[in-house]
Amino acid sequence: MPDEFPQDDYCNAWQNQPVENITMSLEEIRRRAGKFQRRIWWRNAREYAAIVVVVIVFGLYMKWFPNPIMRAGSVITIAGALYVAYQLHRRVSSETAPAAAEFEQCLGFHRHALERQRDALEDIWTWYLGPFIPGLVVFSAGMAIAAPIPFRHRVLATAIMLAAIGVVFWLVAQMNRRAARKLQTKIDQLKALEQ
Amino acid sequence: MGSPSQDERYHQAAAEYGAALERLARAYEFDPDRRRDLLQEIHLALWRSFALFDGRCSPRTWVYRVAHNTAVSYGIGRRRSGDRNLVSLEEVEPTLGDRDADETASRRQALERLTELIQSLKSLDRQVILSYLEGMDAAQIGEITGLAAGSVATKIHRIKTVLAKRFTEGANHAG
Repeated sequence: MPDEFPQDDYCNAWQNQPVENITMSLEEIRRRAGKFQRRIWWRNAREYAAIVVVVIVFGLYMKWFPNPIMRAGSVITIAGALYVAYQLHRRVSSETAPAAAEFEQCLGFHRHALERQRDALEDIWTWYLGPFIPGLVVFSAGMAIAAPIPFRHRVLATAIMLAAIGVVFWLVAQMNRRAARKLQTKIDQLKALEQ
Repeated sequence: MGSPSQDERYHQAAAEYGAALERLARAYEFDPDRRRDLLQEIHLALWRSFALFDGRCSPRTWVYRVAHNTAVSYGIGRRRSGDRNLVSLEEVEPTLGDRDADETASRRQALERLTELIQSLKSLDRQVILSYLEGMDAAQIGEITGLAAGSVATKIHRIKTVLAKRFTEGANHAG
């Protein structure tokens, strides 16, 4: 393989095409850097909005429902939501680390971005869905105990509610797993190109 | 915000590679307004990145890595479609045919068609062809993209074949 490629017509045509000579002053760059930070802030705020809703709703449940088991379930759910918020923060921080690793080799940049997405999708049980389960189970048990209906009906209602939550969680996990598999195929293709 | 060396490095890079960055933005974005946005994103990313420049690679390699990665992220963020509708170099070749040979090959038209061709490629192939057109050697292309030497050689061979078929034949036919 030759070390140098000849400067043929295509290269000359490409390199000599007219350009506008667009430049940016440092003031403009700093202004856009500030705008960039604000955009990141709002993106993170959207990520946390769902967590805030969960905390508010279960905070109100603690006030509305006197049953201690339901209250305990609310506290555990809120704790789970805060843990998810922490995990989101951790993942978002690593994504927006200095210059977002923009200086990596292009192939590695693509691969690492895909690997981060794949890991987040594969680990969904441990960092996103799982932390909500204990609180929801305890809260449902509290509802079953507190409900003024026959015992058999309470058990049935709780079972149906937990099953519904389980199905939704399972579907979410399956969708994420499928997406992770697709990403893995792309990652393998990129790895092959690096070897 | 921004150390003197960061500002200085950015100034040097912008002065030296400003035109190349414009060409790169043109290869990624067809729409003039969005292209200008992309170019500004690239300049911003470049300035930010120079806070971390450690000299492990040449400034040129650094500038191109930052520019390509920013352009790819910009495209993904805007379209959310990844490489959909884009083709690889391998897929470009069979599409060549009479239409290409029949077209006149004035310099401007050739440049437009070259830009169209680049814009239609998947990001990695686009990075290789752009680096090739900017006159880089195989080692530099490998350093920027992370591709193995063999892969660079294969892609360059394909690029040359595609360009020769698409433009040289067209020019001969027109002449």
